[in-house]
Amino acid sequence: MNKIKAVIIDDEKLGRDIVKNYLSGYPAIEITAECANGFEGIKAINELKPDLIFLDIQMPKINGFEMLEIIEEPPVIIFTTAFDQYALKAFEVNAADYLLKPFSLERFKEAVDKAVKQVEMNEPFSEKAKGLIKSNDESKEFLERVVVKTNQKISIIPVDDINYLESQDDYVMLYTGQGKFLKQKTMKYFEERLNPSEFVRIHRTHIVKLNRIKQIELFEKESYRVILHTGEKLPVSKTGYQKLKEMF
Amino acid sequence: MTNPYISNRKIFYMYASLWCMIAFLHFLIITINLKMKWQFAAMDAVVFNLLYLAIGISLWFMASYNSLENYTTRKILINHFSAAVITTGCWIGISYFLLTGILIDNKIYKDELYNSLIWRFLIGILYYSVLTAIDYVIIYYNSFQTKLLKELELNTFVKEAELKSLKYQINPHFIFNSLNSISSLTMTDPAKAREMTIKLSQFLRSTLSKNERQKSKLSEEIANAKLYLEIEKVRFGERLDFVEDMQKYCADIEVPSMILQPLFENSIKHGVYESIDTVVIKLLCRIEKDYLIITVSNNFDPEAVSSKGEGIGLRNIRSRLKLIYNQENLLVSKKEKSQFTVNIYIPLLKKESENE
Repeated sequence: MNKIKAVIIDDEKLGRDIVKNYLSGYPAIEITAECANGFEGIKAINELKPDLIFLDIQMPKINGFEMLEIIEEPPVIIFTTAFDQYALKAFEVNAADYLLKPFSLERFKEAVDKAVKQVEMNEPFSEKAKGLIKSNDESKEFLERVVVKTNQKISIIPVDDINYLESQDDYVMLYTGQGKFLKQKTMKYFEERLNPSEFVRIHRTHIVKLNRIKQIELFEKESYRVILHTGEKLPVSKTGYQKLKEMF
Repeated sequence: MTNPYISNRKIFYMYASLWCMIAFLHFLIITINLKMKWQFAAMDAVVFNLLYLAIGISLWFMASYNSLENYTTRKILINHFSAAVITTGCWIGISYFLLTGILIDNKIYKDELYNSLIWRFLIGILYYSVLTAIDYVIIYYNSFQTKLLKELELNTFVKEAELKSLKYQINPHFIFNSLNSISSLTMTDPAKAREMTIKLSQFLRSTLSKNERQKSKLSEEIANAKLYLEIEKVRFGERLDFVEDMQKYCADIEVPSMILQPLFENSIKHGVYESIDTVVIKLLCRIEKDYLIITVSNNFDPEAVSSKGEGIGLRNIRSRLKLIYNQENLLVSKKEKSQFTVNIYIPLLKKESENE
């Protein structure tokens, strides 16, 4: 039987050490990489295709959940964190287990056993992907940044940089000062998670950042459109116009 | 409610002297206007007014039981009207009996008294009304005072509670992460694990004990906050650095306890947590004009998008400072390109006279 390939992702060396140490009792599991941040983690997962990852959530720049959003084929996951408030979210992304730091060897073994079973069952990816998309809808805080992957590059877009969003089938195109980025999410997802005092859905196909609007003009009879500071013109629906009127 | 005419000596004296005055006027009126013999007039004045003095004290209960909040105006008016008629009737009856039956045996006086009964009755009703009105004023004044007192008490209580809750804010994640580091070190470097356990204990002990006192010396405060940084340094290794610069004479100045540690915590949260590179936390203490200025700054990764504006941590310190020194804007934070700076202004007091 092949060895199970594992990657440890934690920004604290001591955090990685403990997992490494505990894993030394598992000859069937091979540690193929240790990563000190999310970027390294994504790279390692995409290149090494591990079966199992030990993932910290709180990490610089790109956190554990954001990492998972842009990985095409997430492996089996064991979260290791000191934060208990993410437990629910963790199980929604189908994590095998959720270890609260500091954890005992017994607790660790339990988690690894579960994870190994999952690896052997080879659970289909689509199930997990569904979980991923769902997970982010649960969160109640407003989005502060959006992580997207273009070709081989990962971009972190602060929501402040977004001018407007446009729906494109199953994707949403984010228009920013630095260009446009495609994200596999729905308009509804963004409508719910962007701060409504900053972003308004003006049309079925468009969400606009309020402070980017230069003017609202009558386009045809009873139909309006907004003109942005950048010069772009976006359609406004009747309900969208009502919403804008309330904001100004 | 206790009767203020009995319980409060001052009010009783005032009340008694009021009746002395009324009795004197009474005496003058009946001697001058009615040409009554002065001995009879004096006796008349004393009996009538002394009796009403006694009745007046008990009127307090009428007023306090017919409180304006609990009954309708109609009911109160009816109650008082009947009480006025009855008490005045009794007053006249008893006085008349005492004067004519026991004290004075004089036909002319008796007739005169008899003829003036209707006037005396009306005056009795007037006395009743005035005294009751005064009683209501006293009741209102008393309840107003109690309310003020209660409000004051509540305010101090709220202030204290607020202060407490603002202070008890050691981040539990800090403890769990530190314990995880210790757990890890026990396997790789037991000596360091022991060292860290000791540091963590020291930090927790001083933090917990400080809660009872409100202030400590700046030097102690810095020592404690440094302990915190050293613990975090074990977690983050090279990713965290600390530089300190303090003017000598700042060391003994009293500052609110546990005010530095949250600033460092803030630096770590927004600096170290979000950055892959080394974050340097700088502490600078100096005296300028009437303030001790404590500056904590750190570099951060401008690309890492963290929440704009101030977090709860800084807001808490600001409100704590405001509660203690009763001044606005004792905490100023600014964010430059990749540098975050917080300035805390501690007013240097000539006398230590802030709220306890």
